[in-house]
Amino acid sequence: MSDRDNSRDHVSEEQLHAFVDGELDSAEKNRLFELADNAPDIDTQLCEYRKLKDMLRHAYAHPPRPPDSRQSAAGKGATSLRLVAGIALLVAGGVAGWIAHGPLEAPRPAQPSPAVAAASQPAQPDRLLLHVASSDPASLEAALDIAERAVAEGTGRQVEVVANEGGLDLLRSDVTPFADRVAELSEKQVLFFACSTAIQRLREKGVDVRVLPQANVEFSALDRVVMRLREGWEYEKI
Amino acid sequence: MALLDGVLKRRAFRTALSQSRDRLYRTAYAWCHQPDLADDLVQQTLCKALQSQGQLKDVEATEAWLFRIMANCLTDYRRSRREILTGEEIEIVDSRTPEHEAYEQEIVRRVRSAVAKLPLEQRQVVSLVDLEGFTYATVAEILDIPVGTVMSRLCRGRRALREKLIAGRSTAAREEPAQIRRIK
Repeated sequence: MSDRDNSRDHVSEEQLHAFVDGELDSAEKNRLFELADNAPDIDTQLCEYRKLKDMLRHAYAHPPRPPDSRQSAAGKGATSLRLVAGIALLVAGGVAGWIAHGPLEAPRPAQPSPAVAAASQPAQPDRLLLHVASSDPASLEAALDIAERAVAEGTGRQVEVVANEGGLDLLRSDVTPFADRVAELSEKQVLFFACSTAIQRLREKGVDVRVLPQANVEFSALDRVVMRLREGWEYEKI
Repeated sequence: MALLDGVLKRRAFRTALSQSRDRLYRTAYAWCHQPDLADDLVQQTLCKALQSQGQLKDVEATEAWLFRIMANCLTDYRRSRREILTGEEIEIVDSRTPEHEAYEQEIVRRVRSAVAKLPLEQRQVVSLVDLEGFTYATVAEILDIPVGTVMSRLCRGRRALREKLIAGRSTAAREEPAQIRRIK
């Protein structure tokens, strides 16, 4: 048996992987470096496994996102899971998960389900959180209509509007047709929140996102809604 | 003081949840290669995490805990549908490929296709180690298997990928005679 074969006998394939993954201690690393110096095939294998890691990271750096449509063919296997998720969400008061999903159409309660309400503080009608996730102009307009009515109905009523996914269009200065109405509502103490996660995602896609000066961009929609539900706000998704 | 601790912990938890979403999705996609299913797995994971928030003792361990929940979600899904999610059933589709990125996309497609053909158990280990950079011990915790099993699955998975993506191609390149065309 040649020297090269002898050197190979001392290294298992698992050890090569452990080396590549940084799982070996310093002494083991030194030994493998020495072996690799004398055995080009070990060296080659190490390089190939490192390359493989890089290829994998590259291949999954930007995985495709699901289409907005609820009726996609890919969803054939996922439908039941989506329903389960929707139910779990409502049962747990995990509205956050539903919101995090963005385009999910699933259940659309006008206010939190009884379970949600039970998990939170009692809903207080003087505090209303509106959540808009659709870019449909009718939805955007509906959100503003509700906010305007809510402000008109009660003095001192706190109203917040959270926009994510397509609903972000409401607060994007480059696309919204409702800048004036947002400004007017803002003067009446209505707070607007543009989801920081949604903005970041669009920016990662190269979209130059600009939001209206009235929009707060410090929170993700998820965080804001979870917080307000816990505080007992009335919640309405448009 | 305890109240403040609680508030800070909850805030850290929410932040961790929010920050983990993309990583969870990437791994979920690498496991099932179906965007809708991956998205639902992530959603369900976040729901369960919110439900079980109280069970998490160490906020530092939130990420591994989330991936463990997601692995369980996938197991439940497979059980309920009796699906194995083998590579044969997975179709890698990326219709958004612009022409000028054709070459790069070809690599991406080849890698995803090779990963999709691995048995799910190997796919899970390879993606947790290579994509998310978890240690073998953490992967063992996430998948609830011994570290030795993590290493053997990783070994078999990478060997198959290397064969398909690197070794196989160099052999093919060596065997294929060069096509030289004379230009006058």
